[in-house]
Amino acid sequence: MATVLIENLTKIYPPTLNHARQVQALGGLNMSITGNVFVAIVGPSGSGKTTLLNIVAGVERPTSGSVRALQEGVPAQIGYVFQEPRLLPWRTVVDNMLYVQDRKSDRSRREAEFYLQMVGLSEVADLYPSQLSAGMQQRVGIARAFLVNPDVLLLDEPFSHLDALTGRSLRDYLQRIWLQTRKTALFVTHDVTEAVELADRIIMLRPGGVAYDDIAITLPRPRRPADPAVRDVQDEVLRRFDAMGAAVRFGTAQAAR
Amino acid sequence: MTTAPTVAPGSVSALSARELRRAAWSRWGYRLSVVAGWAVFVGVWYLVARFVFTPQQLPQPHVVATEAWDVLTQRDFSTNIQASILRVVAGFLLALVLSVGLGLLIAYSKWWRRLLNSLLLFIVSVPTVSFAILSLIVLGISPMGPIINAMLVATPYITMNLAQGLTGVDRRLIVMSESFGRTRPQIITGVLIPSSLLSILSGARLAFAVAWRMELLTEVFASSEGIGFQIRRSFESYDIRGMLAWAVLFIIIMLLIENLVFRQIERRLSRWRSPEVGTTQ
Repeated sequence: MATVLIENLTKIYPPTLNHARQVQALGGLNMSITGNVFVAIVGPSGSGKTTLLNIVAGVERPTSGSVRALQEGVPAQIGYVFQEPRLLPWRTVVDNMLYVQDRKSDRSRREAEFYLQMVGLSEVADLYPSQLSAGMQQRVGIARAFLVNPDVLLLDEPFSHLDALTGRSLRDYLQRIWLQTRKTALFVTHDVTEAVELADRIIMLRPGGVAYDDIAITLPRPRRPADPAVRDVQDEVLRRFDAMGAAVRFGTAQAAR
Repeated sequence: MTTAPTVAPGSVSALSARELRRAAWSRWGYRLSVVAGWAVFVGVWYLVARFVFTPQQLPQPHVVATEAWDVLTQRDFSTNIQASILRVVAGFLLALVLSVGLGLLIAYSKWWRRLLNSLLLFIVSVPTVSFAILSLIVLGISPMGPIINAMLVATPYITMNLAQGLTGVDRRLIVMSESFGRTRPQIITGVLIPSSLLSILSGARLAFAVAWRMELLTEVFASSEGIGFQIRRSFESYDIRGMLAWAVLFIIIMLLIENLVFRQIERRLSRWRSPEVGTTQ
């Protein structure tokens, strides 16, 4: 069972040529995620959502505090789905998937093909990314993240660059694979509807990267946005989101934990 | 735009028949324009040779072609051509090895970038004839002169393109690799080198052409065999036909290397850039 422990995490970006002042992306964030849960992290721009995922993935260093992603006490294997697919354009789809694997064998190719099949792309394994649509490329990105058999799955607004219909279809794919694999998932989004549809728990961050609220979602899966129960939860989350916006505007927002 | 049968269900569409016809016409149009260009060149040459110059000053194209055929069937043709090609290839390979080191230094060190940029610019600015004369003075008549000169003039082009390719690598792909736990060597071989290859190739192409010319010029001054030496020998005996015949053969070899080596490598490396199928959401 994977655990992600975030303790007093702070990230401050120093001034650059474009930003004369330093920017605080995360400000003393504390969070604990245990078990095979799907956690959505929502917040407005500048609340440090992507920075948080990058630190968990180990591609950015915190200014202070710590992040530990563990599986049975050892460092967890991370799978990352980015905002854009980030495929290597000179490799075919299947080779892109194999790139993130340590062993290269017939078995790993079969595994890659299995996950491609799960996202409905088994017939494009030997095509290049430029021959695929944006939605298909993102599906490859999702399949690639699952291929490494991740203990912790990080998803950074994976549907934000897609049109509504393609995003809808990708959420279905993601939900289906996640229900089969049940990985610990951290899903960053600014779309409350997406968060309610996919997550067991929603953590709200306010600007400056401070936790504001933590909401458990206990609705059965699979969820459809049109379901009345889903809509009720959405309304509740949106109400709290608006309250956070107002609180931030009037300077009364407090960290929830 | 009409759509053709799909390659992958609901996803990738093939080019329509109309688009294929248009592509075929475009290919033939390109070939015809190349042929037309050469025809105009030969035509102008013929007219100028016929009406402006004497045959001793500028022989007509068919006379040069006959002479080139005679040269081609001579026994010493292969000796001379082999000598020139071996030297230019040796100089080019040395430049390639040197450029990898220099390119890495320029791409990843500000200090080296400042130092080497001006040095390479200096080498590019030196008149090629100075290198040729200098090698005659320093090395005498030796095969080393053409090799070293070819290396010297080729190095800046490969180095600059390699450095440009390395600094232009999409940083997001490196972050992706790191997030999946790829090691530094895996990132170098999996991301940095492949994404710089086309840039390196375009530098190599230019460098090879420059190295060829330099090697030839050095042979004119400081060699006892090779195409450059043969051009000089023809010039010394006022054999303009022989001089032009060797020059034409040199051009043909250049074109063959460009089309059979560099263009093929480029086609292979850029396969992923020219998808033959359209895309849909």
